[in-house]
Amino acid sequence: MKKFVNDPQQFVPEMLEGLALANPDTLKYVPEYNLIMRADGPDQNKVSIVQGSGSGHEPAHVMIVGKGMLDAACPGDVFAAPPFDYVYETTKLMASPKGVLLLVNNYTGDKMVFEMAQEMTSAEGIEVRTLFINDDVSVEDSTYTIGRRGVAGNFFVIKAVAAAAERGADLDEVIRIGEKVNSVTRTMGVALTACTPPAKGSPLFELGEDEIEMGVGIHGEPGRHRAKMMPANEIVEELLGPVVKDLPFGDGDRVALMVNGLGGTPISELYLLYGQAHKRLAEQGISVGRSYVGEYCTSLDMAGASITLVRLDDEIESLLMDPAEIPIRVF
Amino acid sequence: MSATDLADVEYVVHSLAQTAVDKEKEFGDLDAVVGDGDLGYSLARGFEKVLADWDSLKRDDVATFLQQIALAISSRIGGTSGPLWGTAFLRASAAAKAVDTIDGAAVVAMLRGATDGIKTRGNADLGDKTLLDALIPATDELERQLAAGASPEECRAAFAAKIRECADATSSLQAKRGRASYSGERSIGSPDAGAVAVAIIAERIVADWP
Repeated sequence: MKKFVNDPQQFVPEMLEGLALANPDTLKYVPEYNLIMRADGPDQNKVSIVQGSGSGHEPAHVMIVGKGMLDAACPGDVFAAPPFDYVYETTKLMASPKGVLLLVNNYTGDKMVFEMAQEMTSAEGIEVRTLFINDDVSVEDSTYTIGRRGVAGNFFVIKAVAAAAERGADLDEVIRIGEKVNSVTRTMGVALTACTPPAKGSPLFELGEDEIEMGVGIHGEPGRHRAKMMPANEIVEELLGPVVKDLPFGDGDRVALMVNGLGGTPISELYLLYGQAHKRLAEQGISVGRSYVGEYCTSLDMAGASITLVRLDDEIESLLMDPAEIPIRVF
Repeated sequence: MSATDLADVEYVVHSLAQTAVDKEKEFGDLDAVVGDGDLGYSLARGFEKVLADWDSLKRDDVATFLQQIALAISSRIGGTSGPLWGTAFLRASAAAKAVDTIDGAAVVAMLRGATDGIKTRGNADLGDKTLLDALIPATDELERQLAAGASPEECRAAFAAKIRECADATSSLQAKRGRASYSGERSIGSPDAGAVAVAIIAERIVADWP
């Protein structure tokens, strides 16, 4: 497997260094804690929004730090929760009189580390709360979770809470919005190929030439079932069906529709999927108010995609429309 | 709070840390039977840090001291052990903060804080084949001895005996949490590594009590 890598152990730090060098006016890199933060942060007049997770999901979350999105991201190594002291020190660095919100995708390792950091920094007088994101409908429990996983739908929670914080909302209000968006967001993904972590150098799991993993997690964890490769419209049906049924979304709903690439799928294929999904929703009386096509939350080089639906109301739609300035510009 | 309280707490933590470092291989071998074998390594790295930082730890009071221990071990221990042990020390610290004197009742409260913290953080309970199956009954026993008017020495001896008895008894349980749970029924027949580790730690604390 050919990859752009020097020392695999330095993969994440070298990526972060590049990110900071490419965005000198807006981002600051604190190598001691793998921390990427807004160059002008922390803003003492707003709630600080911080997301942590393993690396390997880029642009989530280090490349969505910026005005109107995250104030900081605290990544671990590839597919590994950040070490506790990184989260602890990040939380202290991002402390604001209006409080800190830690956003965490629901994985056992991340959950423990962030809850612990919340407990410890709270004991030191920092106002900090934690919000878990769990939008994946494919499985109830999985390899690394108790409960549902947090996947690409986390983008909408981040966008909404960050916009609310930027407008000046207090911590309780920011959390109310985050919980609300999480509660109306549903996602399911599919893998066409496995992904290859730099330190491993070989595919994380075996997937036959003609096989796909339906309901895959963002670390290549098993989903619902293996299937034979099928036409794109049938794949859209298999993904969209469970997503629509879960909330459920129905006739008259207005939604945000995201087709997210998992890292190794060309954008042409993502737009093809988007078109199929958009029309299928229209047939069910579900109208798309906002569209998102591209890479938001990936699994390294995995070929595949996920489909996310968010039920919109005026409040959520308005927050999603607020401006943001981040290294990737996909709004 | 008197200076003696802090000296006792310092002794307990130092003994615990020393055992974790000394027994790295033994704890690792215990864990390798059904878990992933990293218990010895994790605890040794975490408590090595405690011993390395020992002289520079703040000693304003018991609560502050324990909070720093929590930070030191959770910074260094990877996986899930770090947050679990860190939370235990953090909750013990909070219990210590709430009292003026570290008497028998306060020790029970600190142990309860620690086990409740592990329950919450690890989403585990009695019967799941974890260190809780040794630590909780031993804490109950300590509380009974105190209520019966036992001397500090009797209390310590009873605590150590109970924690060993219950650690050995985890052999009959099936693991429900942690990596060992992936082995399912295969975990029956071997004691839980974490439970045996806390028993060995407690026995040494009691045996060497100054």
